[in-house]
Amino acid sequence: MTARTLAPGAGGDVAAIGRRPVPWSKLAWVTLRQRRGLLIGGGILLGVFAVYMVIMAVLQDNAYAAVAACHPAATLKCQQLANSFTRSYWGGGAGPVIASGGAQTVSSLLFAIPVLLGAFAGAPLLARELESGTFRFAWTQGAGRSRWTVSTLAVPAVVLVAATGAFTGIFYWYFRPFIADGQVSEMLPLGFALLGVAFAAWTLLAYSVAAFLGTLFRRTVPAMAVTLVVYIALAMATATAFRPHYAAPVTVRGWNNGAVWVISQWVKAPDGQVLNQPAVNNLAQHLPASVQNSSSPDAFTNWLTQHGYTLWQSVQPNSRFWQFQLTEGAWLLAVSSLLIAATVWLVRRRGA
Amino acid sequence: MNVIETSELGKRYRRRWALRDCTLTIPGGHIVALVGPNGAGKTTLLTMAVGLTRPTAGTLTVLGGEPPGSPGALDHIGFVAQDAPLYRSLPVSDMLHLARNLNRRWDQQRAEDRLGQLEIPLRQKVGELSGGQKAQLALTIALARRPALLVLDEPLAALDPVAREDFLASVVAAADDDGISVVLSSHVLADLERVCTFLVVLARGQVRVSGPVRELLATHGAGLEEIALRHLRAGVPSSSRTEAGQ
Repeated sequence: MTARTLAPGAGGDVAAIGRRPVPWSKLAWVTLRQRRGLLIGGGILLGVFAVYMVIMAVLQDNAYAAVAACHPAATLKCQQLANSFTRSYWGGGAGPVIASGGAQTVSSLLFAIPVLLGAFAGAPLLARELESGTFRFAWTQGAGRSRWTVSTLAVPAVVLVAATGAFTGIFYWYFRPFIADGQVSEMLPLGFALLGVAFAAWTLLAYSVAAFLGTLFRRTVPAMAVTLVVYIALAMATATAFRPHYAAPVTVRGWNNGAVWVISQWVKAPDGQVLNQPAVNNLAQHLPASVQNSSSPDAFTNWLTQHGYTLWQSVQPNSRFWQFQLTEGAWLLAVSSLLIAATVWLVRRRGA
Repeated sequence: MNVIETSELGKRYRRRWALRDCTLTIPGGHIVALVGPNGAGKTTLLTMAVGLTRPTAGTLTVLGGEPPGSPGALDHIGFVAQDAPLYRSLPVSDMLHLARNLNRRWDQQRAEDRLGQLEIPLRQKVGELSGGQKAQLALTIALARRPALLVLDEPLAALDPVAREDFLASVVAAADDDGISVVLSSHVLADLERVCTFLVVLARGQVRVSGPVRELLATHGAGLEEIALRHLRAGVPSSSRTEAGQ
């Protein structure tokens, strides 16, 4: 007996509906309707930051125009103008009330957005269904559980990546004067996390971790908590251990090489011996008093070069920004995809 | 066509067998009462039949040979789990829209007519409905899918007596109107005695009695409650198939 002869009189017109599955557009509607609260909450969170940053970007651009127009830049007047701009808008304090805290504080808040958005969006996706028993409804509808799960995981992921990607555009505007001034360096952790593709990619990672753990634990809150721990550990390991190795660092002479990310620095003695940091510190303590007590920050390095020592740095130049962004984006995307595939697999094999 | 057919079906959760050596044939066109004490394996059997759980041992097919959980099976089985889980934060109208988008077969007119008769407002949130209204909404959604088989797991457990009467009447009416097969589970046979035409008694994970009510009554010469009790006490698997030579 085949499915076509099912249940006479039960309206069982199987032939009429054919074998075409429920279309993705309908499943996407279901997912978006179910996640409306999340969309509104996430939208408000990003929206508040966006409005604030756009307002500040306009104010900053106006204030910075005076700094940029001041010539020659080395004069005391121009230096004071630049310092005052930095104090007002970067460091906080003397600026307009709306800038209180300054961009430095705002940036550190922004750091938390990917993990907050990702954990709140990802953890409940399946955990809430499993907690409340509604999976028994969702997985027994005609669409089938695999398609429902793929839609449930993929639709919010696309929305999140699009929203955080667009948000990155505002960062560029907001941070422009600070990038120009060197407060924000693209290759250093803060700039790297907020510019390029990293912001969206880390949001996607937090989301995937949370969705996977939510399905594994079948509980929303523990999944969020563990996501936070995993995220922080991975983000720190990436910034300190993985990222410096995306490309072999460049060795350059001197300790003042402009806009670069310094991985390490050392001193080479006149006899060719390499002095590590303790040896350099030791050397600094045995210098003549005139050098030790000098107010010039360059006194020590000047003394070293005068006495035949050479200074070296191992650096990642700023020109590698996009190469590093794409490397990080690619592996984060790969890990996220694996986690989402593993989540689908967990759902498929799971019993009730 | 047999709506559910099992052969030596077993399901183990860790060490414990929730269902074991269950061989059962439920023909179509019946209102089937699946009864047994709590923990007898009723929910386990039904969740396997609707494809939520996979068997540990044996085989199970639905609707004349379809594997449970396959597209063909999902399209034609309306399932309401215990406590009628639905999305509490959605308004009734959105709950209908959601179910409609999750199914290839959907009769919106029928769903709205039923809810109108039941006086369940479409704008009300699912979480604000009474237990009886929520059960009726879940039944409405299951019926709007125009299933060949309706599976209801402990549909009466959470309902007050009046709501039970109304709910059962709805199920019988739907079965008569559409000619669909219905399987209901309950731990109280008295709930289903008046409406069922086929009885399956489960205890400790095994089938104790199964057969059409008319044949069971004729063979045993006692009331249904009496027959069920006798088999539950005796603990001997029995089937009208062998006894009545069906």
